[in-house]
Amino acid sequence: MTMLRAEGVTLGYGRTPVVHDVTLDLTDGGVGLIGESGSGKTTLARAFLGLLAPMSGNIWYGQKTLKKADMRAFRRDVQPVFQAEALDPRMRVGASIAEALPRNARHRVPELLDQVGLSPDLATRRPHQLSGGQRQRVVIARALAVGPRLLILDEPTSALDVTVQARILDLLAGLDTEHLLITHNLAVVGRLCRTSHVLFAGRVVESGPTAEILARPAHPYTLALRDAVPKLGGEPPVARGRTEARPAETGCAFRLRCPLAVKGCETAPALREVEGRQVACHRAEDVLG
Amino acid sequence: MSEGLTSQEGRLEPRPEGAPEPVRLRRTLPKITDRFAAAGAVLIALVLLATILAPWLAPYPVDRLAPVDALLPPSGAHWFGTDKVGRDVLTRVLYGGQTSLTIAVAVLAVSAVVGVTLGVVAGYAGGWVRDVIMRVTDVFLAFPALLLSLALAVVLQPSVTTAIVAIAATWWPWYARLSASVAASISTRAYVDAARCLGVPAPMIVLRHVLPNSLTPVLVQISLDAGGVILTAAALSYLGLGAQEPTAEWGLMVEQGQTLFTTNWWVVTFPGLAILMTAFAFNVLGEGLRNALDPRRVVK
Amino acid sequence: MIEVRDLQVRYGERVVASVPELDVRAGECVAIVGESGSGKSTTLLSLLGLTEGAHVSGSIRVCGVEVLQAPERRLREIRGARVALVMQSPQAALSPTTRLGTLMRRALKLHGRGGEQGAGPEPERGTGRKARQGKVRRIMVDAVEAVMLDPGILRRYPHEISGGQAQRFAIALAIALGAEVILADEPTSALDVTVQAEVVGVLRRLRAERGLALLLVSHDLALVSTIADRVLVMKDGAVVEGGPAAEVLAEPSHPYTRELLEALP
Repeated sequence: MTMLRAEGVTLGYGRTPVVHDVTLDLTDGGVGLIGESGSGKTTLARAFLGLLAPMSGNIWYGQKTLKKADMRAFRRDVQPVFQAEALDPRMRVGASIAEALPRNARHRVPELLDQVGLSPDLATRRPHQLSGGQRQRVVIARALAVGPRLLILDEPTSALDVTVQARILDLLAGLDTEHLLITHNLAVVGRLCRTSHVLFAGRVVESGPTAEILARPAHPYTLALRDAVPKLGGEPPVARGRTEARPAETGCAFRLRCPLAVKGCETAPALREVEGRQVACHRAEDVLG
Repeated sequence: MSEGLTSQEGRLEPRPEGAPEPVRLRRTLPKITDRFAAAGAVLIALVLLATILAPWLAPYPVDRLAPVDALLPPSGAHWFGTDKVGRDVLTRVLYGGQTSLTIAVAVLAVSAVVGVTLGVVAGYAGGWVRDVIMRVTDVFLAFPALLLSLALAVVLQPSVTTAIVAIAATWWPWYARLSASVAASISTRAYVDAARCLGVPAPMIVLRHVLPNSLTPVLVQISLDAGGVILTAAALSYLGLGAQEPTAEWGLMVEQGQTLFTTNWWVVTFPGLAILMTAFAFNVLGEGLRNALDPRRVVK
Repeated sequence: MIEVRDLQVRYGERVVASVPELDVRAGECVAIVGESGSGKSTTLLSLLGLTEGAHVSGSIRVCGVEVLQAPERRLREIRGARVALVMQSPQAALSPTTRLGTLMRRALKLHGRGGEQGAGPEPERGTGRKARQGKVRRIMVDAVEAVMLDPGILRRYPHEISGGQAQRFAIALAIALGAEVILADEPTSALDVTVQAEVVGVLRRLRAERGLALLLVSHDLALVSTIADRVLVMKDGAVVEGGPAAEVLAEPSHPYTRELLEALP
């Protein structure tokens, strides 16, 4: 069942769109949204959280668009886990969690802290008195307080040390909520998401089962991303194409960076079905080889 | 030990998970800055106490005229000397503090409440709400304090109250601007978004998250401004738009005494020192507050 | 190029970094791996005598200079010129109102490169200056091209370039000044992976072509495994394990190294 769905969503601040005509389903089994800085992934997350109204298109929550939906039910169903500054620096951790609870359920704070592997004693601390990993657990505890069915995870571990990151990922993987994971880290996506969407310059360029996309990318950008990730004991990371080239205004946005770009790329490619995934590239077949 | 490491590396890095937490976090270093704030507070308390207790401390009745004793230099009988009409300067400095501090406190309180309320609302709401509030603010900023006071003086009687209203009317826009920009930046923080996602109503978000986190710079600014308000009030008094003779007020006393400075220095010096000391005390308090109110100040 | 023995950095009573042995030879890449608070950055800074307020003991030789005994003036000659420091976000260190080319020219002049050491008589006025300017220009263009940037970047201001370009420019600056050693503190952790790959590629090439010695501080074991010859693993200020990268990563002997490896997602 799909709880949230973006349909032809264009998003932006002011008049400039940063996300263009994106359609995607938050299906079960974990959905990954992969993109680098400037890809529009956080903007899209804000739209899914109802924090940013689309310039055009709709976010569907069940049978209704977010504009018409019962927001109280929506807020109970969908919660964010942000990375930095997700806790009010002036509030004690317990109070931050209690804010998510109805007045008569405040006694659940220790229980929630325990659920994310923290000592209930920490409730009286302020955020700056906690380690990064502990803060992130508190943020998760607060999101869980309302009993959500879907978590929107925005780079939940990228500022943490690897050993801490591993434990937070374990915690997230063990939750019985669905999630949308927004990240630049391909390895993390592989672990938590059955389906993934790769975002470049505000457009979905490739979607499909995470394992297949990463094993055999069909879009040159997905390929560049994958090959850029250093692998333990592997070959040095490979830089494909010129990263400093700006996204093209017309045609395929990736074409100025793309080593495979041809004349035909001056017309924008539409998403199409290629070998079990959606890809927006005229030369997908060549990429797959 | 990992705590220390992190600050030495020049970055605020989290302690490794599960590391023992130091129990008492606020120790030696913050104490110094707290002491700074405390020194300001004590100084201000002294000034307040002296002015409140003026009726008991003052050696003479405040409006005792003695033309025979005019312009006596400081002596055992008149520690601060006497003014043109033979009034005891010490007495008038003590009583003058009542007026000056009342003006300062009233102006700052009114300006802060009006300015911060409008500013925080503008900063959080953004969009047209912010535009409207900021345009109104700009209109008020366009009027010099003196011009507005002149206008007010036509409608009202020149008095201490008029001075307060006039100064406050030109003072609050600065706080509105400051708190609007701070609140706007606070409103983009993830914890504000998180609260919105929890369905916390906007007024609660503003009261609980935006306002408290926006307050520090405003509080600091207020304490730094206290001296300025007293001086502005003095200027108004000089033009006959603020405190009126025979009311004792520091600014008025300075203005009246300044022509005598070369011949009878004490008439202007002592009220001037009172202004200086009060302004300084508020500044010290402001600096101290800036440090003491930072929830994330580096603690070693 | 770098020879460290029994290094200990203390702040008061606290030992924040203690490294018994660390050598980096020309053309070699050594990495210090660890998490926040491990003392890896402190170690790096101590090599240039940049740990202010710390008690540093032991022996540090960098490019033949005994860092702990050398006078400040001697250290300044090394810093920047023979040993370059590349930080996580170089853009913050670039003056926003200065074009990158101007900046590089000033740095060259300061260190007396591309000319007759600044002062001194000018034998042939006019032509001499022109020739020198041409030489400076060539050094600059060579350096910028060595890091795969377009020479046009020299006309840009720091805010007009991306993080990856800034990082490469920082490396170009080191090349132009004739650096023999690059000390890099998390040089790519603020960058996108595709950009990181580019910067890493540049570092590897410089090492191979110019015999640069590279000391890299990083939290990313995977990255380190692909470029470092030898690795030092640090935790809480102490070196827990060290040796050839391939060996350490294939058969870690210390539990913490194993934990780091297992934590890789």
